[in-house]
Amino acid sequence: MARRELLARIILGLIVIGVPLAVLGYQYGLRPATSSTRIVDVDLRVPEDGGFAPDAITVLAGEPVTLRFSALDVTHGVAIGPGLDVDLGPVDPGQVKAITLTFDHPGTYTYYCTTWCSDDHWRMRGTIQVIDPANPAFVPTTAPDPVIAALIAEGVDIDAAHGSTDAHDADQPLVFARPLSAARGAALLPDTTIPAEVSDPAWRRTHTPAQALDLLADANPGAAQVDVLDVIAHLWTAGTDPGSLADAQALYDQNCAACHGQYGNGDGPAADTTAEQPVAFADPAYLFGMRGDVLYAKIRRGGMGTGMPNFGTLLTPDETWALVQYLWTLPVADLDTD
Amino acid sequence: MLNEGRIDLLERAPLLKRLLKARAFQPAMMLATLLVFTLAILAGIAGTPAGSRNFGIVFVWIVWWALLIVVLVPFFGRLWCTICPIPAPGEWLQRRAIVRRGAARLWTRGLRWPRRLKNMWLQNFGFLAVALFSTIILTRPGVSAWLLLSFLLAGVLLSALYKNRVFCRYVCPVGGFIGLYSLVSPVELRVADPNVCADHKTKDCITGNEFGYGCPWMVFPGSLTRNAYCGLCFECLKTCPKNNIVLNLRPFGSDLTVAKERRLDEAYKAFIMLGCALLYSAVLLGPWGWLKDWANMDTLPHWALYAASFLSANLVLLPGLFGLSVWIGRSASGSGQPLRRLFVDYAYTLIPLGLAAWIAFSTGFVLVNGSYALTVLSDPFGWGWDLFGTAGMHWTPLGATIIPFLQVGVLTAGLMAALNTAYKIARQHGIPHRAAFVEALPVSGFALVVTVGFLRLYLG
Ligand code: SF4
Ligand code: SF4
Repeated sequence: MARRELLARIILGLIVIGVPLAVLGYQYGLRPATSSTRIVDVDLRVPEDGGFAPDAITVLAGEPVTLRFSALDVTHGVAIGPGLDVDLGPVDPGQVKAITLTFDHPGTYTYYCTTWCSDDHWRMRGTIQVIDPANPAFVPTTAPDPVIAALIAEGVDIDAAHGSTDAHDADQPLVFARPLSAARGAALLPDTTIPAEVSDPAWRRTHTPAQALDLLADANPGAAQVDVLDVIAHLWTAGTDPGSLADAQALYDQNCAACHGQYGNGDGPAADTTAEQPVAFADPAYLFGMRGDVLYAKIRRGGMGTGMPNFGTLLTPDETWALVQYLWTLPVADLDTD
Repeated sequence: MLNEGRIDLLERAPLLKRLLKARAFQPAMMLATLLVFTLAILAGIAGTPAGSRNFGIVFVWIVWWALLIVVLVPFFGRLWCTICPIPAPGEWLQRRAIVRRGAARLWTRGLRWPRRLKNMWLQNFGFLAVALFSTIILTRPGVSAWLLLSFLLAGVLLSALYKNRVFCRYVCPVGGFIGLYSLVSPVELRVADPNVCADHKTKDCITGNEFGYGCPWMVFPGSLTRNAYCGLCFECLKTCPKNNIVLNLRPFGSDLTVAKERRLDEAYKAFIMLGCALLYSAVLLGPWGWLKDWANMDTLPHWALYAASFLSANLVLLPGLFGLSVWIGRSASGSGQPLRRLFVDYAYTLIPLGLAAWIAFSTGFVLVNGSYALTVLSDPFGWGWDLFGTAGMHWTPLGATIIPFLQVGVLTAGLMAALNTAYKIARQHGIPHRAAFVEALPVSGFALVVTVGFLRLYLG
C-alpha cells in the first residue's frame, strides 16, 4: 500500500508541477535552443489591438531566420516584400505559419497583412532590417525612385486632386458616349493616323489619355470622338503580357480591392472607412485624366491624408508598373476580366 | 420489491466488482483526468487566445461536454463524479492520502455547513452565472482556465473547512445538473436489502472502516432511492462488511417517479436547465443576429438587457407558464392537491425533456466542431507544434445530413418520457385514470409546445 501511495504522489507531482515545467521549458527553452535557425515569433492582431508584435525585426545578412506568425484574433494574411515573392496566405485564428528565410544583402523589407482584417488593416505592417554582420551600424540608404524623382523635377503635384492632372483642351469635352472597347480600337487602327509621340510607350507613361485625344483629334479631323477613345483604350492596354496582368490582378485583389472595389468602382467593402472616397478606376472620366507615372507614384507613395496607404515598401517597381497596367484595363469594357 | 426488475452488474461481472473495490481505481482515473485538466488550464493561461485552437477550450467545452451530456449522464448517471479531477486535490488533502486508507479522521476544520444551503440553490445560481457569461467563458481560453482553476481552489478550500465533498454536493454548478439528470440514467447504486442496513449497528458505510471512508457525499446508502446525490465513489462498496451494495441496471427514468424526495430547489434546477437549453439554442441556432450580439456583450446596455431577460426567462417566465398549466390541470381535474406540491411534482416531467434537449443541442454542436479536437491534440497550445501530424487539419463539420434526424429522434424520446412521467405523477396523487389524465394534460401540452419550439430552432 505504501508503495502505491508513494507512486501516486509522485505521479501527482509530475502532473501538477512536472507537466507545466516540461511544456513551458520545451517551448521557451529547449525549442529555441535546439533550433538550427533563429526563431522569431510574431503575433498577429488587428492594428487596433497592436497589429504585428513585434513590428520590427533585425536580422543579420546571411543568417537563416525562421519567422513564425500566429494569428490571435481574426484571420490575417502574411506576405513579405518587396521582391521576395513570399506570401504565406491566410493565417486563421490560432494557426501558426512559419517560413525560414536567409537575406543575402543588407536592406529593409516589410511584412504586411494581406487580408482585410479590420478598418485599419492597411496599417498592419512590420519591418525587417537586414544588417551587415561585419558592419552593423551601416544602414543602406534606399535610392530615390527615379520615376517619382522625375515627377518632382517636372513639378507635378502627385497629391493633386483626383484626375485633374494635365486636362486636355476645354473645347473638346470628354464624353464617353458608349462603353470603351479595345477591340474596336484595334480594328480602327489601320485607318487612324497615330502621331509619333502617342505611339511611343515612354510618352504614354508620362501623359494622359486625354492629352493623346487632343493629338489624335488634330491628326484625324473628322474622326468621331467615341472612335478615337476606343483607339486610345487599345493603345493604353495593348501589349501587356497576360501572365503579368494576372499577377497584377492578384495584387490588386489583395491590396486595392477592399477600398477601390473588385471591379474598380470605388465601392469596396472598406470604402466607407477611408478619409476620402476611394477613386473609381472603372470610371474613364477619372482614369483618362491620369498619367501612368502619377498612378505609379500614388501607389508607391500613398496619398497624403486620403487614407491611401503607400505600397512602395511592399511592391517592386516592376510589380507597381504591372499594377498600373492592370488599372488601365478597368474602364475598358471588353477587357473586363470577370 | 426494491430491486425488482433490476440486474446487479456487480454480480454479473465479478471483474468489475474487483475493479471498483480496488482502492487504486478511483485515484488512478482522477489522476488521468487531472492530467487533462492541468493541460487545459495551462493551455488556457499560456496558449493561444484563439479558442478553436486551444486545448483548454476544445477539450473542456467540446470534448468533455459532449462526453458528459451525450454519454455519461444519460447512460451512467453520476459516473463523471467518480473520475472528476476538480474535488480530487481537496479530497486527497482531507485524507492525507491518495490511494491508501489514510488517517481515521479527515483533516479539516470540520465546520458545519449552513442548514439553509443544504440544497441545490447555490448550484442553481452558480449554473446561471456561468451560463450568463458562457459566450465569454466558452471562447476565451484565459477566462475559461481561471474559472476551472477557481473551481479547483474552491474544492480545496471547502475541503479544508468542511468535511467530505461539500463542494460537490452543494456548490459545484456541474454537479447540480448531473445529479438531477442522473435520475434518468439506467444505472443506480443501491443496497441489496435495506433491512440488512437497518439491522447493521456500526453502519460502516457512514463511519468508514479500514477498507474505506464513510460516504463522502453524506448519503446513507441504506436509504438510497434516487441517484441524485450518490457520487458513485464506491467507498461504500469497499466498506460495507455485509456485501450489501449493488450496482443495478434498470429502466431509464426510474427515479423520476420516486415521490418522496421531490423538492423546489430541484424543480428549479429542471426549469433552469430547460430554459438554458432553449435560450442557447435560440442564441446560437436561431435566426436572430441581434440576439447573438447581445449575448456576446456587444455593448453593456445590450448585455444587461440580455442578462435581465435571461434570468427572468429562467426564473420567472418559464416556471410561471408552467405553473399556469399546472393550475389549469388542477382546476380541470378537481384534484385537491396543494398547488405548490403539484408544481414541484410536475417539474420532474421536464427532466427527461431537458436532458433530451441538451443532448440534441450538444450533438449538433459536437459533430460540427468536433474536428477541432484533432487539431488541438497535435498543437494543444497553438504554438505551431505538431505532435501527431494532425495540426494542419482543416475544420470539417461532420454529420450535416444526420444531425436533424438525431435531434428529432432524441427530442421525441424526451417528449415521450415527459408525457409518460406526467401521467405517472398524476396517478401518484391518488386520483383515477380519467382525472389523472386531465390533471396531466396541460403540463403535457406545455412539454409539447417546448418540444416544437426546439424542433423549430434545430430544423430551421
Ligand atoms: S459534483 Fe462537480 S466537482 Fe464534484 S465530482 Fe461531480 S462534477 Fe466533479
Ligand atoms: S453512497 Fe456509496 S458510492 Fe454513493 S457517494 Fe456514498 S459512498 Fe459513494
